[in-house]
Amino acid sequence: MGELALPPGAYAAALASLPGAGPAWLARVFLDGGTPRSPEQAWQDVVSGRLPPPGAGAARPPQLPLGLACPGAAGRAVAGSGGAQGGLGTCTPERLWQYCQSRRIRATWIGGPGYPARLAEGPAPPGVLFWVGDIGLLERPCVAVVGTRRCTPDGQQVAYQLGRELSAAGACVVSGLAAGIDGAAHAGALAAACELGPEAGATVGIAASGVDVAYPPRHRLLWEEVTRKGAVISEAPPGRPAQSWRFPSRNRVIAGLARLVVVVESHAKGGSWHTVEAALARGVEVAAVPGSVLSPASVGTNLLIKEGALAVASAQDVLDALGLPARPGPCSPPGPAAEGAAAGSGGGTAWGPVHRSVLGALGRRPRTVDEIVERSGLPLGAVLVALDDLEQRGAALGRAGWWALGTFPGSPVA
Amino acid sequence: MLATVASATLVGVDGYPVAVEVHVANGLPGFRVVGLPDASCREARDRARAAVVSSGFRWPQRRVTVNLAPSGLRKGGPGLDLPIALGVLAADGQLEPELLRGRAFVGELGLDGTLRPVAGTLPLVAAVAEPEVVVPASSLGEARLVRREGLRGAARLRSLVEALQGRAAWPEVPAAGPQDQPAVADLADVRGQPLARRALEVAAAGAHHLLLVGPAGAGKTMLATRLPGLLPDLTPTEAIEVARIHSAAGLELPGGALSLRPPFRAPHHGASAVALIGGGGARLRPGEVSCAHRGVLFLDELAEFAPHVLDHLRQPLEEGRVVVCRAAAAVAFPARFLLVAAMNACRCGSDGSPGSCRCSEPARERYRARVSGPLLDRFDLRVRVSQPDVGALLAAPGGPARAPGRPGPSPKAPGTPADQGEEPTSVVAARVARARWRARERGLRCSSELPASQLDELAPLSPGARRLLERRLREGLLSARGLHRAWRVALTVADLAGHDGPLSEEHVLLSLALRGEGIADDGSARSSSRDDAQSLAVASWVS
Repeated sequence: MGELALPPGAYAAALASLPGAGPAWLARVFLDGGTPRSPEQAWQDVVSGRLPPPGAGAARPPQLPLGLACPGAAGRAVAGSGGAQGGLGTCTPERLWQYCQSRRIRATWIGGPGYPARLAEGPAPPGVLFWVGDIGLLERPCVAVVGTRRCTPDGQQVAYQLGRELSAAGACVVSGLAAGIDGAAHAGALAAACELGPEAGATVGIAASGVDVAYPPRHRLLWEEVTRKGAVISEAPPGRPAQSWRFPSRNRVIAGLARLVVVVESHAKGGSWHTVEAALARGVEVAAVPGSVLSPASVGTNLLIKEGALAVASAQDVLDALGLPARPGPCSPPGPAAEGAAAGSGGGTAWGPVHRSVLGALGRRPRTVDEIVERSGLPLGAVLVALDDLEQRGAALGRAGWWALGTFPGSPVA
Repeated sequence: MLATVASATLVGVDGYPVAVEVHVANGLPGFRVVGLPDASCREARDRARAAVVSSGFRWPQRRVTVNLAPSGLRKGGPGLDLPIALGVLAADGQLEPELLRGRAFVGELGLDGTLRPVAGTLPLVAAVAEPEVVVPASSLGEARLVRREGLRGAARLRSLVEALQGRAAWPEVPAAGPQDQPAVADLADVRGQPLARRALEVAAAGAHHLLLVGPAGAGKTMLATRLPGLLPDLTPTEAIEVARIHSAAGLELPGGALSLRPPFRAPHHGASAVALIGGGGARLRPGEVSCAHRGVLFLDELAEFAPHVLDHLRQPLEEGRVVVCRAAAAVAFPARFLLVAAMNACRCGSDGSPGSCRCSEPARERYRARVSGPLLDRFDLRVRVSQPDVGALLAAPGGPARAPGRPGPSPKAPGTPADQGEEPTSVVAARVARARWRARERGLRCSSELPASQLDELAPLSPGARRLLERRLREGLLSARGLHRAWRVALTVADLAGHDGPLSEEHVLLSLALRGEGIADDGSARSSSRDDAQSLAVASWVS
């Protein structure tokens, strides 16, 4: 048999792909009995019956042969939930490993190469981790930026700016790739990567589905970008769709990787609380962004602050808490630079009277063209030409019919 | 005895000739209508009977059978009351059958014998071949729109029979005087909002569909109701076409003269698909899209319409007509209209500026999803309408629109457009007419009909304009599909300005501002610009 020719990661992947294999069982498989097992050894033990298969207990005797849940031969993710009867018995560690390699999916296990040290030290470490991308980014100081999916545009903007500025300052932004705050934090970090090059913009997404299954589906593009510029990590085997029980489990990984967890917005109840609890259990500091007392999306964060969480309002606050130096660069908060450009110093350009008049009509608050025409008193055509000119030279920005000075306060989230 | 009376029935917007055959024979007294009558047509027997009796005639105590031929055609509506009553009288010998020959009759009967107008008089009268048509006197004006000769009006069954028998004169037909066109709201009432005003003008000139996005009270409805006044008058042929549809839909026609004003229809957002598209009833009533034919269909609160109802609009928007298929018949209704829609930026009713909305992201997503992408894509013009400036609101008509004591902007130089007061409808309509005339010189009705393949030839771009479009495409701020639409709008803009030669940067910039890429679809062009297909399309154009 060619089984022995496989690398240990392949056996780790195979163990994690067994139907019913959860974090607790996997951790037992590797650590049971005091001496750590290698993945090959663990696989042999499970196959031969020396170790109980996943899901076996007093109520349910072990069932042999073991069926390996297959991520789908055609390369499409097969719903592996609840037993995956269709793929049983047809998959082997070899085929699974082939599948992983064709998608550049790597796997490691507790004590294996590349396994994040912070996770191994904490309670309930994931038995097996799959990832795509550069997991080495986790060696940077990691900051988890998390929050609700049902966020407000303000929360989204805060998450975006935190992601952008923290990653620009050399931190790695860890989040859950979910809709809302998580996605905005990742998008911010990716924006920093675009602006400052690959050195900045480190971001790692922790997924609840397999690393090759984008969830939510509309984050497919974001997912791909994070894979390309950072990494996506998951406990779930490849091809596995998101299952609800995996989300709290995913949140514990986020908390376990981070040196600081920042909750941007959270309702009175929600997944962010899992992350907070896991962080507290691991002694990871928790910070929260204060919000309006009238906003339901800030009830949770305000409560956290009341209970002693660090209140952060900017990336600088987070960097101070981590003891990291801020790295000034083009990513510094918009304001003086944009105003400077507006005042006429941008690029050494001296604006003409029409441009000056249009600049005077613009503000930091976005305005419609109508408002600009009324405020400047210029004809519509001239205003549009001037706005286009200003936008080209970076003094103004227009999106979807709104115009503002300098950078746009809206959230360009994917 | 047997009598045959000519009449007509309505299916869709067309009349079809119907022969009403009445047979009165010995047997048990009874009354039967055969030949696919619908409910309102079956009720004719009760109305006809009461009208005959109350007009002083005798109802035959014999067996009466009414056949509506051709029997394959479903007949609807009460227009056959009058021919049935006359047929009974003739078959019973109370009226000479020869008097009915060469005449067609259309009309509903009241129980007291009065003649009432019916929906669709215009197409019904147009359908009959008989040299003389008798209609209710109140429908004469409408009937005269399609027929000048051999028109008779009657007010009551009794007087009609007497006139037929020559015992009384036909009622005098009052000559139709020139009808006053109903006044339309003037554009001068709209304060400020230069971009939205320009959008109305461009929409009227190029027949570009228009979407107005803004908070409640910003004046979206006010703007939309100004549009019919900007459109050129209908030609007589178009006006007849419109009058036929309105008549078939049972809408009141401005009596006497033909209305040359383009129709304006604004159905409520509770409208059902049938109400919007047509169908319903045996005669398949035309829907709102057809009533707006050659005019403006205004859908206020677009996102509150049921999504499946809105998706029915795609066929009429694409083909200019709508085909309604029912078991009884398939009818094509003309539906070439200018679509103007208004919606809020989101459910909370904020002005939609970044950061102003208090809705959660899923809520905004759901609100946006109510209008499907393909429908949204039909709008060449998407304009944000914001609350008008306080100063502009309070300014006296024709006076300077300026906020008293507002800080910031310098006093306006004389000669800027805002200082001359707002332009009235007549001035803008003249520009629109000129732009339409220029489009006709190219062999088009309006520039929105220009095929993409002819854009380069008929609407060349200046080098600056080309560079501008290239840049927008590269930045992903303009989709490949949006390019052609923006290009056509730029042509309309140039036509309105009376500009000859290649389209300039200013024309393109205005068209891009009017196109409002990203309004109401949250910048989908931006995210989709990463798609390979999109990149290819962009590359092929830019290279």
